[in-house]
Amino acid sequence: MRNVLRLVWFDLKQELKPPVWIIMEWAVFLVQVSVYGVMISQLVTGIDNYFQFYAVGLVIMITFDMASHTGRHFVEHAHEGRLPYLLSLPISRTKLFMSIALQGGAELALMLAVPLTVTLLIIGNLTWVSAVACVLALFFLGFGVAGLMLGLSFIAFKSSDLYTAIVTGLSTIIIRFSTVLYPFIFLPPQYASVALFSPLTYGSDLTRLILGFDPSFLMNPYYAVAVLTALSVSTLGLGLILIQRLVEGVKSA
Amino acid sequence: MSEIRVVLAIARNDFSYFFRTKWLMAVLLSLNLSDMLVVALVYKRMMTFDYFVYFVPAVIIMGLFAASMDTGRRIWLALREGVIQYELSLPISTHGLVIAYLLAGGAAALVYASSLMAIALIVLPAHAIWSAFMLLPFLFILAMGLAGIAATLAAVASTHGEFFFAFQNIVQIALLTLSTVYYPIEVIQNYLPPALIIVVAANPLSLAAEALRQYTFAGAPIELGFLAKILLASVPFAIVGAFAYLAALRKFQVKGKL
Repeated sequence: MRNVLRLVWFDLKQELKPPVWIIMEWAVFLVQVSVYGVMISQLVTGIDNYFQFYAVGLVIMITFDMASHTGRHFVEHAHEGRLPYLLSLPISRTKLFMSIALQGGAELALMLAVPLTVTLLIIGNLTWVSAVACVLALFFLGFGVAGLMLGLSFIAFKSSDLYTAIVTGLSTIIIRFSTVLYPFIFLPPQYASVALFSPLTYGSDLTRLILGFDPSFLMNPYYAVAVLTALSVSTLGLGLILIQRLVEGVKSA
Repeated sequence: MSEIRVVLAIARNDFSYFFRTKWLMAVLLSLNLSDMLVVALVYKRMMTFDYFVYFVPAVIIMGLFAASMDTGRRIWLALREGVIQYELSLPISTHGLVIAYLLAGGAAALVYASSLMAIALIVLPAHAIWSAFMLLPFLFILAMGLAGIAATLAAVASTHGEFFFAFQNIVQIALLTLSTVYYPIEVIQNYLPPALIIVVAANPLSLAAEALRQYTFAGAPIELGFLAKILLASVPFAIVGAFAYLAALRKFQVKGKL
């Protein structure tokens, strides 16, 4: 476990010196909530208090961004020749995979610290149980998306350009065709059927349900838990299998 | 005469590099098209106000903005990868090199925004399509101004990538949230202090989005005074950007690094 933690810290400390991206992400969140969120919620009349709905949506987007960053980071390692070095270390592939997942988790926790606290303060009237359950739901979603992106990262061994194009295009579609920014009932039927395939639909609706939003415009929580569990287990399992098959000397194309 | 040819050759090379960057095209197209065809449509269903009509012209300006800002990334890459050393060795003055990058940035953004406009004209009926053609030269100047901002950021950040992207993010958020791209000025007036409302009204993105909404899609007659405002709001950015990049290149020529 000490080796895993050392590897996590080895990468994490580079992100913290200086922590430009973390502070940036917090500042962007605060501006988006306090300016864009307030203005757009004055225009939205379809639901009560769109401001709170939007704040939770932003937290989900940060979770998604960080989780996809884990996959991109893995590809960058391959591209820069760092992956062969990591693979040559005297640790098992499982531990290496664990260190990647833990690093993603630590980065997510850092990135979410301020946005989630502000969102919980905006919503107010919460119990410790709901706050903890919300954090768990976000991490659950984060691991699922990270697993998906790690799975996709193996495309990069064929072409890193193609990988970046697929991941960035897919990321936008996954966010837009989901309930991150708007409730499911407002989606036109043809978009709603696509939104059912987006993991963010289930992650955001489950988080909102935990935070006390009106369940009438949210997805069934049992489906949400089932989908998120299936996603996390299957994609992380797939990533674990694929990393076992990586041979030393592999390089991103 | 030969200098102009070299300027155009460098501009053409940078222009084609923009469209050849697959991931960038994937990001820009997926973002802008999903904003236009998904976000605008769904928000319309959540509002009593026709947000689709309001937001679709703004997406064209957002595309123009994002494509112009990519000039900064290309300049930063040229500085980091040492391409700039090769370009400085070409038979071209430093002024010429700066002009080439700004021209390429403006042209790439205009072509990209025009493609978005073509899609917008399919999904949203326009009352005066010819007005769109009249606005193109002004959008080109605006794009060069925005490319100037990006060039300034690239020159200030020099080879520090994380700072360049952080600066770019700050400018993007500031210019887009403090504009009428996403929400009408009436909503902003209820919330922001008077000083910021002046900033929002003078923001070149607000002016360009308003021009497209009024003149192309609503069919109002073009007011020359309004077009002059777009020029006045854009040209200073282009000049500041050109000088900042020029200063960075001169420093590079003297010291060999930034």
